[in-house]
Amino acid sequence: MSINRHFNILDYTLQSLLRRKFKNIGIIIVFTFVIFITGSVLLLSYSFKKEAMLMLKNSPELIIQKTMAGRHELIPVGISSEIMKIPGVSKVEPRYWGYYYDSLIKANYTILASGESLSANNRLLKGRLPGINENNTAAIGRGVSEARFLNTDSSISMQTAGGRPMDFWITGIFEADSELLTSDLIVISRADFMKLFGIPEQMATDLAVTVSNETETVVIAKKILSQFPDTRPILRSEIIRTYDAVFGWRSGLILTLFSGALIAFIILAWDKATGLSAEEKQEIGILKAIGWETSDVLEMKFWEGLVISLTSFLIGIILAYIHIFFFGASIFAPALKGWSVIYPNFKLAPYIDFYQISILMSLTIVPYIASTIIPSWKASITEPDIVMRG
Amino acid sequence: MIRTENVTKYFNRNKPDELVAVRDVSFEINKGDFAVFKGPSGSGKTTLLSLIGCMSRPTSGRVIVGDRDVSRLPERFMTEVRRNTFGFIFQQFNLIRGVTVCDNVMLPLFPTDIKPSELRKRTENTLDNLNMLRRKDFLVQKLSGGEQQRTAIARALINNPDIILADEPTAHLDTHLSEEFLSMMKKLQEQEKTIIIATHDPLVYEKEYVNLVIEMRDGMVRQITRKG
Repeated sequence: MSINRHFNILDYTLQSLLRRKFKNIGIIIVFTFVIFITGSVLLLSYSFKKEAMLMLKNSPELIIQKTMAGRHELIPVGISSEIMKIPGVSKVEPRYWGYYYDSLIKANYTILASGESLSANNRLLKGRLPGINENNTAAIGRGVSEARFLNTDSSISMQTAGGRPMDFWITGIFEADSELLTSDLIVISRADFMKLFGIPEQMATDLAVTVSNETETVVIAKKILSQFPDTRPILRSEIIRTYDAVFGWRSGLILTLFSGALIAFIILAWDKATGLSAEEKQEIGILKAIGWETSDVLEMKFWEGLVISLTSFLIGIILAYIHIFFFGASIFAPALKGWSVIYPNFKLAPYIDFYQISILMSLTIVPYIASTIIPSWKASITEPDIVMRG
Repeated sequence: MIRTENVTKYFNRNKPDELVAVRDVSFEINKGDFAVFKGPSGSGKTTLLSLIGCMSRPTSGRVIVGDRDVSRLPERFMTEVRRNTFGFIFQQFNLIRGVTVCDNVMLPLFPTDIKPSELRKRTENTLDNLNMLRRKDFLVQKLSGGEQQRTAIARALINNPDIILADEPTAHLDTHLSEEFLSMMKKLQEQEKTIIIATHDPLVYEKEYVNLVIEMRDGMVRQITRKG
């Protein structure tokens, strides 16, 4: 069959859409909004997950924390040498990190002691990291810098656990590209860290364990647990799973918040599916009477549904892309981003999960086209004579 | 050319509001006839027109167009016959509002393999013959009653049908426009087309060139008068 027939029907369909432009623009606006919200949530949560995965890629396979009464406790650094004796362990490094509440701006900072594991972040730094033994110096995240109006030639004051003020000269600021990791971060020397939080010598926040053969991580974790029953080994795979669950949960929360829009869309689709206006019925009757087949009418309705839904889908997804990757998800990022009050103002790398997009496409475009075709099919299988009599 | 044999048409069969629109109707219309179904409202004229025009099927009896029994054809073939054989002019014109004259006229040929450029050329020729070319880009709702009817006629002629069916075509026209319409139909008859009009307007059925009058009442044929 020639392409002309389809072209002619498509041509007429486009005119039909223009004829009811206000109604169709209304549908496109609602449809686009739904796609925009859903698409933004999907793009954002997927990019977060992807970023988190990349971030964790360089993290240790195993972290050992000490617990007391089910809570995280400081861990004696001395057990590192015992852990090193376990076959398969290649390195054990103490980590020093904690949170500091700044009452001035009512925000939490993440404080980290400078060490080997931070060297990878050097490329993300404007200025430099404080040296391991360089006291009263700090590198800060952009979020901290902006919240406290600080730059490399200024200092930040914090209060020690004993209530005494402690000043830190700023040696570097983490750049925007690393904001997901570093927005609320302050890196100081190990000695300053111990002093600030009043941590006894030979204690650390946790231990990072590097394993020679990654497949043995679970076995090593079990050995550590049997040797030190008051510890909690955390596998990298568990952290990845937690991230996945957290962002999944947060995405669900956002979608629930916007369920009103989804319901509006469903009502719209239902309204279309349950009936045609008298004018639409009459038009189908006329078309049938002058020689259109049922399949021609259905093709016209198919194009109509496809043009509206595809246009809305593309606009919605493009807007969602711009919203997420150019404007940093300004509408609902606070609900999806981190725990800190200093929300990272970062640009996400544009990761797109085409599987998710195609699922969204099939869950919106297909039902919409069906809701356009079904009532028309009901009208077009009726004798045109009856349709025309009303 | 057209023959009905004991045609009966029920609406809402076996329901409380069952209606017999046409009962046991038989007649014959020849090629080139100018035929009129005459009768008051509710006499079954429009139903008969839609049965002949393959827009509905009889409950019983046969409708034969050419040498083909169309009363039991599958929907697809009925559409084919409708598109290739008939041109319809409806009482309310049934033009599609918001669409230009040109596109309204092209409508019957949209679902065909004709190239858009050829389609447009053919439409413009048809409109030109009806003195409507200057209005081709007008939206139909902006036209006068007479112009709307000429658009409806152009649409009925675009597929070059052998048979023109018109349902109460003069019901909304004044005498002048009615005469104009009838003279157009006369010209078409002279081109060997068969004209069938359902009407209760004496201006139509009293015309000297109307050679067949089928008088209907209560769904039945009362009288068939063939002139000449």
